[in-house]
Amino acid sequence: MRMCTKTLGLFLLFLNLSAGQGLAHKVNIFAYVEGDTVYTESYFADGKKIANETIEVLDADGTVLLQGRTDAQGLFSFPLRTKEPLTIVIDASMGHKNRFLLEQSEM
Amino acid sequence: MKGLTVLTLSVCLSGILGFAAVGFAHFGAIIPSDAIVTQSDAKQVTLAVKFLHPFEMQYMDMARPTQFGVLYEATKIDLLPTLTAASGKAPDQQKARTYWKTTYRIKRPGDYTFYVEPHPYWEPAEDAFIIHYTKVCINALGLEQGWDTPVGLETEIIPKTRPYGFWTGNVFTGQVLIKGKPAADVTVEIEYLNESPDNPNIVRPPSDPYGTQTMKTDANGMFSYAMPRAGWWGFAALSTADWTLKQGSEEKAVEIGAVYWVHATDMK
Repeated sequence: MRMCTKTLGLFLLFLNLSAGQGLAHKVNIFAYVEGDTVYTESYFADGKKIANETIEVLDADGTVLLQGRTDAQGLFSFPLRTKEPLTIVIDASMGHKNRFLLEQSEM
Repeated sequence: MKGLTVLTLSVCLSGILGFAAVGFAHFGAIIPSDAIVTQSDAKQVTLAVKFLHPFEMQYMDMARPTQFGVLYEATKIDLLPTLTAASGKAPDQQKARTYWKTTYRIKRPGDYTFYVEPHPYWEPAEDAFIIHYTKVCINALGLEQGWDTPVGLETEIIPKTRPYGFWTGNVFTGQVLIKGKPAADVTVEIEYLNESPDNPNIVRPPSDPYGTQTMKTDANGMFSYAMPRAGWWGFAALSTADWTLKQGSEEKAVEIGAVYWVHATDMK
């Protein structure tokens, strides 16, 4: 039982540490349109690329239109089918998540 | 009696005005409308390019600069043609003076270092020309990259602390370069921009030394300063050029300044 408490304590401490690290390792995503293609770039604040993580593209109603993965350079692109606002989400592991709102005016 | 009073008054006034004109330091300035552009911010940033006494808010006339641009991803983009003349003055200044303005649209993530090389300013009171090579950095869309890249100016301050996101009381550390080499024992003057948009009230210094803070760079050209108030802070590292400029037929000394502006925000 005591052992359990100790393990739990350590686990909580670990959670705490990773939460702290989360702020310093905040993920970012940027998107722009060129022609009929939407280009996305995912990166940490210091410029490191977010490789091989999940991208989700949602419409204004929150419906998932498509999913994909970033490449080694943190890049992912997809065709622009209709000129409607899009929410593009980068979902890196450990709860690192961020979104970019691609406005109609930028299409 | 009446004549004497008027005379005394005018002597006093000219004393005060004269004091005001030389009491504080000259600063080149580039003040942007936003220092950190996030996803939800306007991407169109306004920049004001000025030559002034930041603490006492007195403007000097500024001629069209020699160069003005932005360094982004180690590439310089010329923005000189985008500058338009504007005029401004301190509340107690009679005549408005010329400064320069532009707008810039942030397109991509990263650090944007704006720089200006002003036209040489002839200062009769110092019997010298003044050229303040001035910089400011805007961060965009979460990518903190590029802020310490040198522009390659005659003299410039390289920030050693990331030059944005300061809380009030934080320390700014910079390195002064002249012709790309660290400049030891150079005087750095520091002033608060009293006209900062987020300054709740104009600060009146109890005496001159409060208005202009002064320090010297160490052997590696480094200096550090903790900013005690929210708003814009100017750092001007001043030296004399090893070249001269002609005023009429006479060769005159040139004060070259490396100026950097950073913004502090209250923690609340």
